[in-house]
Amino acid sequence: MPPRKRMFRPRVCRFCTEKDIVIDYKDVKSLRNLITERGKIIPRRIYGTCARHQRQVAEAIKRARHLALIPYSGQTQY
Amino acid sequence: MRRYETTYILRPTLGEEQFSEIIERTNKIIKEDGGAVINLERWGTKKLAYEIKKEAFGHYIYFDYAALGSSVHEMERIFRIDDRVLRYLTVKLSDAIDEATIASETERAVATAAARTAKADEAEGEEGEDGEESDDEITDED
Repeated sequence: MPPRKRMFRPRVCRFCTEKDIVIDYKDVKSLRNLITERGKIIPRRIYGTCARHQRQVAEAIKRARHLALIPYSGQTQY
Repeated sequence: MRRYETTYILRPTLGEEQFSEIIERTNKIIKEDGGAVINLERWGTKKLAYEIKKEAFGHYIYFDYAALGSSVHEMERIFRIDDRVLRYLTVKLSDAIDEATIASETERAVATAAARTAKADEAEGEEGEDGEESDDEITDED
């Protein structure tokens, strides 16, 4: 069996290092980076977001979905 | 008194008159019990990420205010009855807000709005003489 491919993962949370980023459900542009093309929330094992900030991100995405700012599922239109 | 923000989506086919009527009515509910509207932004008609009640577009209205929990409850009750309102979302920004904060925040919101219109005017003509500095729109409260 070939060795498992290791994905790069930043060691620290992006929101902890850059304090001026505010996680806001109204800010559609930055939320776009935190969801997949299918509209799923990107798991924290990919970005290395800390638990606290991942919770805030998830909450913001869910709020934005409720307001139809980002889709619940399906291809996103850029 | 608590600080909240609410975003609601109206049917885009209503026309300007009904938009203003709904905004007026909503603000009245907040003000009746001693609340105050700090900031009101009309994001305009935007494409929805998915259809809501067969509508592909929606007219977004966002406002930031201080009010009692009961007025928020009443406002949401009316939103649920009114089928011109497609969606609404209320978020609590802070547990307590005093008169001074309301005044300063309102001032800040007005200044930001003025700066924004000034910038828009500048692009057109040679207006935008207001002396206000442009604050950032980011809310710092959790």
